[in-house]
Amino acid sequence: MEETKTISDLMYIGAGLAVGLAAMGAGIGLGIATKGFMEGAARQPELIDNLQSKFILGAALAEACGIYGLLVALILFFMR
Amino acid sequence: MGEHWVGFIGSLHVHWDTLITMWIAMAFVIILSFVLTRNLNIKPDKTQTIAESILRFFTGSLAGVKNGEKHVPLIASLFLFILFANLMGQLPLKLIRLQQGELASPTNDINMTAAMAVIVLFYYLYHGFKEKGIHAIWHGFSVSGIIMFFVELLEMITRPLSLAIRLFANILAGEILVMVMVSICAIALPIPFMLFEIFVAFLQAFVFMMLTIAYVSSAVSEEQ
Repeated sequence: MEETKTISDLMYIGAGLAVGLAAMGAGIGLGIATKGFMEGAARQPELIDNLQSKFILGAALAEACGIYGLLVALILFFMR
Repeated sequence: MGEHWVGFIGSLHVHWDTLITMWIAMAFVIILSFVLTRNLNIKPDKTQTIAESILRFFTGSLAGVKNGEKHVPLIASLFLFILFANLMGQLPLKLIRLQQGELASPTNDINMTAAMAVIVLFYYLYHGFKEKGIHAIWHGFSVSGIIMFFVELLEMITRPLSLAIRLFANILAGEILVMVMVSICAIALPIPFMLFEIFVAFLQAFVFMMLTIAYVSSAVSEEQ
């Protein structure tokens, strides 16, 4: 009984770590993507339309990695 | 949120809420395409102009792919279905009480998105084999060729997995976000988040479509 309680407590920590670390990685990735887009747009403003759709695609892919962490956190929360 | 109205047909588990909303989304797509393609003419009227601009979006996205026109049916139906399915989460269908679960977007069920991802997997494998024969996955007897063979086998698992989980998790996370905001303050606070979810609905449908195009394009293109 005591042991299962400890494990479920650790699961809360694991859920917090999962979403936090995943958000960190996704944030760094989004930052790099935005930096690249801004630099490209500043150098060649005529390419903005072309760059923008690719930037949005890349940003969505980077953001999805953060959401994987959220998914793992939810699984740890609700499937105990 | 996250719960489903589970029923049984024989020994099969059926999520009725997903099934109902999926059929509503399908009906939207079918009615839309039926209405927009009446009275086609050389000189386009209003509805035909809309239909042509939607179609031009898909042919434009497929511009870099070999025989791109051939893939428009799959790409267009995937995009339109996912778009309507995602947008349905913002309709107040949750007011209708069910035994379990609620009527939200069908894409918040992983079975739905996994089915679409598996369809994409078989589609690009079929076109790869049709175009290049066994060389779609087999690159000859060399060290790099054998390593690439195992990488191709691994991609058959990871590609549909990431497609399915990305769409499912984004929509589910959006619903959880709106629900948390509703529980903080139900008046006016959730509105910006619901507007953001409408943006996410377009974005995720677009991402699913672009990744499908990338997979099909890499399957049918000539090797370097």
